[in-house]
Amino acid sequence: MPASEPGGAPAASAELRAGRRTHPLTGVVQGGLWAGAAVVGLGASFLQGDRWEGVPWWVAVLAVVGGGLVVGELAGLVSWWFTRFVVDDEELRIDSGVLTRRSRRAAFERIQSVDVAEPLLARVVGLAEVRVDLAGGDESRLVVRFLPLAEAREVRRLLLRRAHGAQGDGTEDALPDHDGGELITRVPPERTLLGALLSLDLLAAVAALVAILLAALGFGAPLVVLGGVLPALSWAAQVVARRVVAEWGFVLWRTPHGLRIERGLLSLTAQTIPYARVQGVAVVEPVLWRRLGWCRLEVDVAGRAGSDDGDLDTTLLPIADRALAAALVAELVQDGGPDDEPVTVRASRRSWPFAPVGWRFRSLSLGRRRASSTTGWLHRRTSHAPHAKVQSFALRQGPLQRLRDLATVELHTPDGPVDVDVHHVDAARAREVVLHAVDAARDERAQTVVGASAPAGGVLGGGVDGTGELP
Amino acid sequence: MDASLFRPVSEPWTPVSPALATRRRLVLAAPLAVLGVVAATAAALGPAAGVPRGWVVLLVAAAVVLLGAAAGLWWWAERNRRSWGWAESEDDLLVTSGVMFRRLVVVPYGRVQFVDVEAGPVERRLGITRVTLHTASTETAAQVPGVPADEARRLRDRLTDLGRTHDAGV
Repeated sequence: MPASEPGGAPAASAELRAGRRTHPLTGVVQGGLWAGAAVVGLGASFLQGDRWEGVPWWVAVLAVVGGGLVVGELAGLVSWWFTRFVVDDEELRIDSGVLTRRSRRAAFERIQSVDVAEPLLARVVGLAEVRVDLAGGDESRLVVRFLPLAEAREVRRLLLRRAHGAQGDGTEDALPDHDGGELITRVPPERTLLGALLSLDLLAAVAALVAILLAALGFGAPLVVLGGVLPALSWAAQVVARRVVAEWGFVLWRTPHGLRIERGLLSLTAQTIPYARVQGVAVVEPVLWRRLGWCRLEVDVAGRAGSDDGDLDTTLLPIADRALAAALVAELVQDGGPDDEPVTVRASRRSWPFAPVGWRFRSLSLGRRRASSTTGWLHRRTSHAPHAKVQSFALRQGPLQRLRDLATVELHTPDGPVDVDVHHVDAARAREVVLHAVDAARDERAQTVVGASAPAGGVLGGGVDGTGELP
Repeated sequence: MDASLFRPVSEPWTPVSPALATRRRLVLAAPLAVLGVVAATAAALGPAAGVPRGWVVLLVAAAVVLLGAAAGLWWWAERNRRSWGWAESEDDLLVTSGVMFRRLVVVPYGRVQFVDVEAGPVERRLGITRVTLHTASTETAAQVPGVPADEARRLRDRLTDLGRTHDAGV
């Protein structure tokens, strides 16, 4: 496939304008997924005792599997036949539905990001889906599934170019012609495994296991062991498996457009995080990782909240060492330079009844350009948000806090893993800090607006903010 | 601890309409009071009508609880109403509220994405509305109940205008 159409306004092909079906195998793949669900459903009812009298078990199994496959595949093919997607001058549109037609639209100016993903079953037959994230709204994601991989990339490029055109920032040159970029880091598989094994979730599962074993031994009831151990084991296995499968082969690239992530063992996901849309970064250090000097990086990205992958979608880097983490944080959320003297406030000693150990680890610090908070004793989390992007501020006090003359300071960022808050600081100091944060944010916003003539890249952040020239 | 911690810095302070207390009394306290009176009446007439003693005791207890709750809400409505207020500074909107759980929320105008003005049937009768500011963060809890209707309209227009001129993008 040609990488781009040099010069000239990008035009959707006539075929795309008129609307077209996705790849014919879509029906088969989608049908396969539904068939799987149907088989599971039928199988469950079969196992629960809806036995057919007088029918040998293998006939029943064959019937269930065969029936599920036929029904699923038929449904998949029919739904594929009636689904079309259109890229015209204003929007991306997906029309679907057999009896009730359904039309989902994405106006180009609402497009926040476009990513290509390869779910397992589709990947087997060489297909991929295009995920389009939109700004705001309840249904903020459109998925075109499935297209051949090369074609999916082509559609992605077209949509991105259109989105830029629609947002009128004239930065078509800044669009990536290729999906690579400069390699920042590659997380080795053994690290992913070890990291998952040392994560706090797994520790909790192991602790539960030990507790159950001890209890069972104490009561001398071996059956209890089986009943408790199996769920605990399967939970532990799921925790590890989920992380490892999703974060396998994690690669982070720096492109002119933003940071680019590729990950996945079975399903491949690639996503780009435009610099301008980063609202905050959090560094997470579980207790066992600290020994190894590891941490995880999570980001708040505007418009990314509430997608189906949950926390995996907000992971910037599952395992990093401290130096790399610090460099990335500094790149995404600028600090105030070496002569910056942050205003720091810590949780008051009086707050010990609320958190007997944890109060020592709570603090908030307001630098010239960013606000940072630290919390957590076992699971340490340091959150950074640029002043210019804080949405609102709050000072709170409950009745118990009032008894001890404490208050909570919150800086609100868009939904995501980053929370720049500090609980239980001295009340008068808390008020000072909130007002200081409001002032700092006002100054920073003024700077941003002045500097915005070199555009912050519209919503897509076309890499024109100088980040493209980083070494 | 005095409430001055949660006051705005220097701006004039706009309290919400007293009708907010009326609305809450109508919607929350009044139904409870009516139920309480019904229970009390039933308890009073019960022995004559041959209702078993246990039921009468229960009815009395219910009446006491309901009337007590109604009285509590009646008192709370005015006390809580007085704690609400907002102020418009040069760059931010400040909202304060709460007696037990106090808060001061500061929303920069440039961060306001849209403003909702809502009013239910009772509120419409009383001429008040609820004004809610939405930013890109759902944590932003900037709702002001009990804003007089014309004031709400003015506030909405002003916030929308200010949001446009102060707009800093997300």
